[in-house]
Amino acid sequence: MGVGVQPRALSARDMEPLLAVTIHLAAPFDLITMLTEVIAAAKQVLNADSGSVWLYESETDELVARVSTGLETVRVPAGSGIVGSCARSRQIINVSDCYADPRFNAEFDRKSNYRTRCMLTLPLVDHKGVLVGVLQVLNKAEGVFDENDEVLASALAAQCAVALQRVRMTEALIEGEKMRQQLEMARVVQMSTLPSTMPLVPGYEVYGTFIPAELTGGDTFDLSLVGQGLLVVLGDATGHGLVPALHVTQMHAMLRTAFRLGADLDTAFKQVNNQLAEFMPADRFITAFIGLLDTQAHRLRFHSGGQAPILYFRASTGKCVRYNPTSFPLAAMPLTKLRPAVALEFALGDILVLLSDGIYEYCNAQFEEFGEQRVTDLVEANYHLPAADLSALLLAAVKSFAKGAAQEDDITVVLVKRTGASEARRRQFARSNNALEPITAFVAEFFVGEKIDESLRYGVDFTIEELFTNMVKYSKTTESDIEISLARIDDGVEVCLIDRGVDLFDVTAAPDVDIQRPIERRAPGGLGLHLIRRMVDSIDYQYIRENRESRITFRTTLDGKARTQLPQLGKANDAQH
Amino acid sequence: MMLNIENGSDGRVVISGRLDAAQSQAAQTFLDALTGTVILDCAKLEYISSAGLGVLLKTQKRLSAGSGKLRLVAVNRHIRDIFMYSGFDQIFEIEAAVE
Repeated sequence: MGVGVQPRALSARDMEPLLAVTIHLAAPFDLITMLTEVIAAAKQVLNADSGSVWLYESETDELVARVSTGLETVRVPAGSGIVGSCARSRQIINVSDCYADPRFNAEFDRKSNYRTRCMLTLPLVDHKGVLVGVLQVLNKAEGVFDENDEVLASALAAQCAVALQRVRMTEALIEGEKMRQQLEMARVVQMSTLPSTMPLVPGYEVYGTFIPAELTGGDTFDLSLVGQGLLVVLGDATGHGLVPALHVTQMHAMLRTAFRLGADLDTAFKQVNNQLAEFMPADRFITAFIGLLDTQAHRLRFHSGGQAPILYFRASTGKCVRYNPTSFPLAAMPLTKLRPAVALEFALGDILVLLSDGIYEYCNAQFEEFGEQRVTDLVEANYHLPAADLSALLLAAVKSFAKGAAQEDDITVVLVKRTGASEARRRQFARSNNALEPITAFVAEFFVGEKIDESLRYGVDFTIEELFTNMVKYSKTTESDIEISLARIDDGVEVCLIDRGVDLFDVTAAPDVDIQRPIERRAPGGLGLHLIRRMVDSIDYQYIRENRESRITFRTTLDGKARTQLPQLGKANDAQH
Repeated sequence: MMLNIENGSDGRVVISGRLDAAQSQAAQTFLDALTGTVILDCAKLEYISSAGLGVLLKTQKRLSAGSGKLRLVAVNRHIRDIFMYSGFDQIFEIEAAVE
């Protein structure tokens, strides 16, 4: 700074405006205000008519004038013209007659209808020697810029450089923090749409899990009961960050809405694709598997927009079959026609295996991908495991394969396994406590026919009675029968009570009663559920709005193993007895 | 299978079958007529639901307001579990069945 100029002591008269502007330079925290302050200070201190600041961008090696009085924003390569030369040489350039200097570009004057007589151009270098930019002042009020001005300008430039650099760094920090907060928010939104508990589907085990990458990826999944059956979704939006997280969240919501409104698979797929195509940026898309499982006819129909591979374990052959997408990724372009959906007969023991590419493309330190074969081998060797255990095993295999290599992408696992070793038996019962006797007979017959361990009988009878009598008591708006279905599961039984034409009422959400209360303060109400929680492995309430249908499903097994797959039910109060 | 409740030969009350929501009113009516200390022989009671517990609770409250009580004998394991899970084992004297 001030190179080539004899240092000269600043007079008190010089000091005053310098100190005055220094105070101003300390205040601003945003770049635009700071640039305005710097230019105002330079004009005042040097008695100039006009001024500009050119910021240096190291990535492009260019100088950019973002704010300048009387000039448009413009870029100049470092080394070119007077500003560029100043940046390159880090020397003051004092031109007393611009139109006589070959480096002067009169273009700016023409554009702004201005006449530059003389100019003083100074490098802005901060206290660490980093080039921040170039300060330029034009047309001294009287005469030309002299050596005295150069000394003044150098002192000012040093102040400006430090102030500008401070603001630039602050802005970068704020930007980074904003980005981090946005990512966190997007993550919260993305996670909030995922099913918090798995629906209990008679004769099936459904399991989904989502392991987010550190930076937001764009995975989503859904496993929920809708009027048409079980909705199965796995989606993955391109890219990382805020935008894909929000796109998959939108898709998730649109699909649920479409199916809740009763759309068929083809219509929902097409409509959601076309709407996403309309508002998503041209270079963005979402690969997605969208399937509907008819859990009574055991038929799965699906579309896959670019989501592959879709693995399907067939129990009859012991092998995984691979299905390819039926369409391009969602939002890639509007769909005018759609190939027919794939339809599969879901046989006993079959497993639908949907994994996001966070698993298939998980890289170890040798840049080797986990790949499809490892998944296939693992599923074929462990098909007998409960879905939740199979998922855990798969994730453990990925982790051991990675040997510490970081997870770069979201990981999503969705498994649907048909477990019922028998067709569910279903029967309708009149909405009356008098139906308890035929219900008991129905259960007894099922236990004998399916050779289910008799020790489970009591809990099943008890739980059915509590739930059934509740339905009788509280569903006053309907006369319709209550359906009970029974299915065998590994070492146990699964029971579903379906109550149609009723309002949403989640009896399973009732709190436990206080069993320590003295006798005179106790009433039997609410006790039933308290006891149920101690008799069954799991219990789940679903409300299917479009059918106004309540479904309560519970499972009980000999060793309580259905407990591990589903939200835990407490036995906490029992220890004191 | 249905519920049966009657006075036994040795002064006990014998209950058999299933004490569920459909049968609780019949049991209540029978028990309402009793006074003093009642020994309920549960050897042939297969099943009790929370509606059945309600019947026994109401009876216990009524009897203990006097100087009586309800004592349950020969109670099978499933039903003992229900009493334990519900904390009713603290309200009734319960004697297990010989199994």
